[in-house]
Amino acid sequence: MHYREAIRLALDSIRTAKLRSFFTVLGIVVSVAFLVAVVAIIQGMNAYVRVNLTEAMVGTNSFQIRWMPIEMAMLSDQDVVRMNKRPLVSLDDAAAVRAALPDAKAVALQTGWPTPAVEVAHAGRSMPNVITFGITPEYQVVYDYGFVAGDALADPDVRERRYLAVIGHEVATQLFDDPARAVGKTIHVARLPVRVKGVIAPKGKTLGQSLDTFVLLPMTVFETLFGRRLTTTVSVKMHTAAEVPAAMARAEEAMRRAHQLRPREENDFAVDKADALIAFWTSLTGVLFAVVPAVVAIGILVGGIVIMNIMLMAVQERTREIGIRKSLGARRRDIRRQFLVESVALATLGGLLGVAFGAGFAQLIAVATPLPAKVTAWSVAVSLLLGAGTGIGFGVYPATRAARLDPITAMRAE
Amino acid sequence: MSDLVIHVVDLVREYQMGAERIQALRGVSLEIRRNEYVAIMGPSGSGKSTMMNVLGCLDTPTSGEYWLAGQEVSRLSDDALARIRNREIGFVFQTFNLLPRATALQNVELPLVYGGVGGRDRRDRARRALERVGLGNRMDHRPNELSGGQRQRVAIARALVNEPAILLADEPTGNLDSTTSADVMRVFDRLQTQGQTIVLVTHEAEIAAHADRVVTLRDGRIASDLRQDRTRAA
Repeated sequence: MHYREAIRLALDSIRTAKLRSFFTVLGIVVSVAFLVAVVAIIQGMNAYVRVNLTEAMVGTNSFQIRWMPIEMAMLSDQDVVRMNKRPLVSLDDAAAVRAALPDAKAVALQTGWPTPAVEVAHAGRSMPNVITFGITPEYQVVYDYGFVAGDALADPDVRERRYLAVIGHEVATQLFDDPARAVGKTIHVARLPVRVKGVIAPKGKTLGQSLDTFVLLPMTVFETLFGRRLTTTVSVKMHTAAEVPAAMARAEEAMRRAHQLRPREENDFAVDKADALIAFWTSLTGVLFAVVPAVVAIGILVGGIVIMNIMLMAVQERTREIGIRKSLGARRRDIRRQFLVESVALATLGGLLGVAFGAGFAQLIAVATPLPAKVTAWSVAVSLLLGAGTGIGFGVYPATRAARLDPITAMRAE
Repeated sequence: MSDLVIHVVDLVREYQMGAERIQALRGVSLEIRRNEYVAIMGPSGSGKSTMMNVLGCLDTPTSGEYWLAGQEVSRLSDDALARIRNREIGFVFQTFNLLPRATALQNVELPLVYGGVGGRDRRDRARRALERVGLGNRMDHRPNELSGGQRQRVAIARALVNEPAILLADEPTGNLDSTTSADVMRVFDRLQTQGQTIVLVTHEAEIAAHADRVVTLRDGRIASDLRQDRTRAA
């Protein structure tokens, strides 16, 4: 019997028992959907983090001084409790670091996670989910912002807590159509009226996300509105990457002096390079990537056993058919092929369904959350191979049993 | 090559039943020539079914020789026997043994599928076989849409489609009423006049009466082997 014949037979018998076939492969469907969706989400998060973090830290010339080290999640509870007593990173700290690093390109204070996403409104028009940062002026240097209209925030704006804002290009066009018209107008940021001082040149989109929907407030204004953040950090940008290690040492010195630490006392702050954050994230997703295959493997194993059981049942039910086929000249390999193709077809269909569900779920995530979940080709390929492989692996035994049936006894079966 | 289709020499078939060894066939020798019409009779337990299984290459003898169409088949492997069944033997069973989900045409195509005949050739041959048994207008019906007599004729078409050396029928009218039985027997009779070698296994004298020769088994041995003038349904 040719494979074409066997495939037609297999699809026939799957079609005549659609519901049963579906439940047979449910385990595969769920496992594969899980694999596809989780990989899509992790990849999405990777992309999100890479864009957002590298954006936030701008490359290898920079480092940060923060309240807690980046790998906080890896610390013991004891350490975290101890570290909780640390003073928050403040404007004074930023000033101290600035003083110690006159050669730095920029030393800025900025608020960190969780970034408030608020409504920004002007004269009846509004824009939801605009991310808002509190900053010191040099932040605008760290990011290389250019201005299409108005001016950057300046030191007195922070010092005197002026109710001013610098806004992203898309916010300006959304509220004023023409960015030039925005300057000097009053907008409401989370209902707080502030005057627009400048509009930043468009930065474009990455992974479907606009990089131009944000509002920058003077640090002091931000803290009035949202309170002081634990995650406020000092960002330092040097001119070259080579300067970074020495600069980190000097910044550490300056911070210790500012916090009046005695020589034996440990730092009550953390100095991290940009790549530390990326490295931490990579190790985190690495753990996920290690766990996912294990979960999928268990799912596939269970799914495979179900398929094997159903195929054994099918062999049982179709004993008579097998006998008839053998009496008409079917060889062992013909029967084996028929049942093996059937279990492979079942499992592959399960894999396809799983991919569809997983991709659908990933799409849902991408639409409903800021994560750009993206189904990867390799996870689809792995899924389908896994499906087909399961069909072969768990189909061999039932198919072999079918092939070994004695035609006389098989034909007598009811 | 002689015109011997079946040549069986001193055939023995033993079964192990628990501690006991049962001899279903105790040394049967038999020759059947091309175009013979033979009925194998005998009461239950006479070895009739075993004989039919061995002749049909569904079973192999414990000892003895079995030459089918010039080939010794008593020591062949499973798969080799499947080949022989496919090419040399056409079965007609009491219970028809059609695949319920397949149409008449698909059922008749089955031996060709396993014989490696494909595509249009296969469909044409199956169609011709169905026409030969008068079912040219029922090809797309499934077995449950056919009467008992029609089902048995589908089975006969399936048995014929590979042009086997022998047509082996096991109580072919056992599940049919007398009218349809006569109908089916007419088909056999006609096939024989067209040159087909036929072996009927039956316990009904009426059916056996259609044959030219009646071999009677008793206790695993041939009790009688008689030629007769066949009665043919009008």
